Amino acid sequence: MRRELRAEWTKLRTAPAAWWLLPGVVALTVAGSAAAVGFTTCAPAGCGHDPARVGLFGVQLGQGLVALLAVVAVCGEYGTGMIRTTLTAMPRRAVTLAAKAGVLTGVTLVAGTLGVLGSAVAGFLSGGSALPPRAVVGSVLYLALIALLGLGVATVVRDSAAATGVVLGLLYLFPIAILMIRDEDLRLLLWKISPVNAGLAVQATTDVLPLGPWAGLGVLAAWAAGALLCGGLLLRLRDA
Amino acid sequence: MTRLLRAEWTKLRTVRGWMAGLVLAALLIVGFGALFAAAGHSSCSRGPVEVPCPVPPLGPDGLAVEDRFYFVHQPLDGDGTITARVASMSGQIRLPDATPGVRNVVSGLVPWAKAGVMIKESTEPGSPYAAVLLTGAHGVRMQYDYTEDLAGAGPSGAPRWLRLTRAGETITGEESPDGARWTRVGTARLPGLPARVRVGLFAASPGDIRVTPNTLGGSAASSRFAEATALMDGVSVRGAATGGAWSRDDVGAEVNPDGSVHHPGGLVRNGEEFAVTGTGDIAPNTTQSTIERSLIGSLVALIVVIVVAVLFVSTEYRRGLIHTTLLAGPRRGRVPVAKAAVVGGVTFVLGLAATAVTPALARRIGRGNGVYTLPVSTFTELRVVVGVAALLAVAAVFALALGTLFRRGSMAVVTAIVTLVVPYALAIASIVPDEAARWLLRLTPAAGFAIQQSLPEYAHVTGLYAPAAGYFPLPPWAGFAVLCAYAALALGLAAYRIERRDA
Amino acid sequence: MDATIEVSGLRKRFGRTLALDGMTFRVLPGRVTGFVGPNGAGKSTTMRVVLGLDAPDEGRALVGGRPYRSLRDPLRHVGALLDAGALQPSRSGRDHLLWLAHSQGLGAGRVDEVLGLVGLAPAARRRAGGYSLGMRQRLGIAAALLGDPPVLMLDEPFNGLDPEGIVWIRGFLRELAAEGRAVLVSSHLMSELEDGAGHLVVVGRGRVVMDVGVAELIAGASHDRVTVRTSARSQAMAALAGAGATVAAGDREALVVSGLPADRIVAVLGARAVPFSEVSAHRATLEEAYLDLTRDAAEFRGAAR
Repeated sequence: MRRELRAEWTKLRTAPAAWWLLPGVVALTVAGSAAAVGFTTCAPAGCGHDPARVGLFGVQLGQGLVALLAVVAVCGEYGTGMIRTTLTAMPRRAVTLAAKAGVLTGVTLVAGTLGVLGSAVAGFLSGGSALPPRAVVGSVLYLALIALLGLGVATVVRDSAAATGVVLGLLYLFPIAILMIRDEDLRLLLWKISPVNAGLAVQATTDVLPLGPWAGLGVLAAWAAGALLCGGLLLRLRDA
Repeated sequence: MTRLLRAEWTKLRTVRGWMAGLVLAALLIVGFGALFAAAGHSSCSRGPVEVPCPVPPLGPDGLAVEDRFYFVHQPLDGDGTITARVASMSGQIRLPDATPGVRNVVSGLVPWAKAGVMIKESTEPGSPYAAVLLTGAHGVRMQYDYTEDLAGAGPSGAPRWLRLTRAGETITGEESPDGARWTRVGTARLPGLPARVRVGLFAASPGDIRVTPNTLGGSAASSRFAEATALMDGVSVRGAATGGAWSRDDVGAEVNPDGSVHHPGGLVRNGEEFAVTGTGDIAPNTTQSTIERSLIGSLVALIVVIVVAVLFVSTEYRRGLIHTTLLAGPRRGRVPVAKAAVVGGVTFVLGLAATAVTPALARRIGRGNGVYTLPVSTFTELRVVVGVAALLAVAAVFALALGTLFRRGSMAVVTAIVTLVVPYALAIASIVPDEAARWLLRLTPAAGFAIQQSLPEYAHVTGLYAPAAGYFPLPPWAGFAVLCAYAALALGLAAYRIERRDA
Repeated sequence: MDATIEVSGLRKRFGRTLALDGMTFRVLPGRVTGFVGPNGAGKSTTMRVVLGLDAPDEGRALVGGRPYRSLRDPLRHVGALLDAGALQPSRSGRDHLLWLAHSQGLGAGRVDEVLGLVGLAPAARRRAGGYSLGMRQRLGIAAALLGDPPVLMLDEPFNGLDPEGIVWIRGFLRELAAEGRAVLVSSHLMSELEDGAGHLVVVGRGRVVMDVGVAELIAGASHDRVTVRTSARSQAMAALAGAGATVAAGDREALVVSGLPADRIVAVLGARAVPFSEVSAHRATLEEAYLDLTRDAAEFRGAAR
């Protein structure tokens, strides 16, 4: 496993995409949060917005780039055929996928921590309240799980354009669908299975949501685990 | 160009995955429409008993309306006039309980609480009418046939004289500060109005609408009971009146299981003074499900279409096939145009097949579950059905142009989704203030979603007219034109760059 | 571990196409084994199965007696070049080798070593996307050599190379084999292997048609035929037939004789005083021998023939 990790780390480190995507995650997260705090002019308690969710709004934008990073890391190899070199050098496919997941999680945790802490500081400087530790830590974990979800989907789908569509669709269609549906029970059900809506419950402080913060993050974790499991299984079974 | 189109059509048709993707997109529209209609459920209770929800009455033009008010009336044969003075208006609003279980009622009027004089075909809900009335906060108005609303001379409160005059099918509304100097508010034509109509005094008050952020995302509007009481005097009916005795009706009221009226209105008569109390509204119905909600699957279809359209061009770059394509037709700029025409055309045809059947299907399934879909005019329905298919087609063209510009599949898909879907998601999530959300839906390609809006905003109906509730800042075709402009711009750039750049 | 590739009874089906149909052979150390057959004969599929990229429906493939996917640090056991273009164009050639090296527990030192070995050091830090076909081929060979493996497998390494490159690879492969490695090189052009391979595995329609030494193959394909040119064809035919040979008329003055060696033919013609201008033993080229062998096996054949 150590060698696989090292190889995947070298691979990621020497891929130019990572060098703009990771700073992009940090920048977009901080900028999005700062903009949301600036937009929401009313007093945090007054207009019914959860201050923690507003202060960490940028996570909802940064997640797109995190997912993209995961997709690029896998589909870039399939697109060029380099995946065959990878699997020739590291034939224990499950281990290789785990190594990729490990490296991706690592860099996402770093970028996520910078982005989320940056959001917290930006919000605090512009007069917002300090964010609770659970929301901060939870948001970083949320981003890491989004990376794993993207990785799993990309391994299943293999084509970069299609994988991008599937992942971004998963991330952004659920929230829209929930708003468009009138039936309360159906809305609630969709909310509970939506990776983004349920996952971001971990940021909630004043909102009373259908799922608790960690249970909500658990929904996203289940998505990520399911996607990785499917990806791993298909990677083992399919010809490269 | 014909040859180029044929070549591109052959290319699209012969990759099984692409055609399968586009067919899948169409099936997703139908599937999600049917699924959500089947999963949705609506029921109403009358006391402890669950009953099917009442079907809203239809107005003179076939649209669903709300027609609930307290009416003190007498028959009028042929032409005639009714005059009355609204001496004062008051009312009460039930607020959220401060102490659980204890009704928290405050006095006050909602802005569109209304009382005045009315001429109506019958007391049947949905029948044609014309009224001149005083409102809680919008002064004197003349309203008729639910959707029409004309403002009076200026902001004026009680006391106010109001007069309606019928001459054949034409009804004129007037107002006066003193009963002597009259100003015309407006004229209504009610085609086919029979000789015998009802004429009288009325009062109504729509619920108190409060908009709160929904914790699940977006905003939620909740309506709370409100009623209005108007003190009216100086009542006179001139013309071929029969008898002159007043009848009273709680028009459109719900009846409790024990036979009593739910939230009854009433009349307290003190000599020539009429105190009329009523609740409800006389307005177009905007609270039920709309046709475009049955097309919710078009969002998923949109993603599929974007991916296929991008792949249609990006795989050519990846495999170097683009060289062959450009050699086969040396006028390079035409290549993306031909590709766009083919992928857009196929998407439109398949999309239209899906959007044409889905609303009817969803309506049928929904009716079985007690979900009522608001009827719209044939023209509006056609616009929504064709418009959503066209939205998919233009999105495909946009994505294809981005694919040609970026050459890299994932970049093009990301850009298409970030400019088309994400602004929509942001606009309808409550996190962005409504004004910012409206600008997002004016300036970004997401403006195109306006094509699916089937209900217009009514100035005289209080409601949540936010993007989250399905109301777009631009008119349907204008919004669609914004998306088309983006697609045309991207396609133009793609054609220009493919002409100029080395392949 | 011993340097061999063993393939036995491989079968694999892709949809309706039977790609491998009982492919069986061994590749032994110390020589270059050519793996030849027409396009679509199953060469690449076999190599992918050996490398654990594709799973066979039946049969097995072993490298040094073990299945590839059970190898720890497989590049130290087998070096392979499948598709030289299979790299991310934005990464430099050196970085490409670096991650491969790290996956085998090797360091950057070894990377620079193999870069020097294939003569790619000057271009090592440039984007691999800008490499010429020859440079990519060299980079692919460098990757194959990274783990200093006793077994090498190269799929069509000559494809698209200029003559100089072909000569370089041939020489390089011979050297590697001389060091005691097992080298398997696939090609659909026999001529490319002419001076390179010492042994041939000829395949067609997913199975081995012949597993033979190059010298043996050429001798076998020559069929002891001798060409005789003479101005007195009927006389010569009668004389040679009388001596027990099979004689066929060739073009104009030529006869093709089999069943008698060249020296006996000269003796017979001399004894009967038949004039002749040439008696030459026919030696088949590798190409002819190959075409002869694969005539039945070729999957795709021009209809005009």
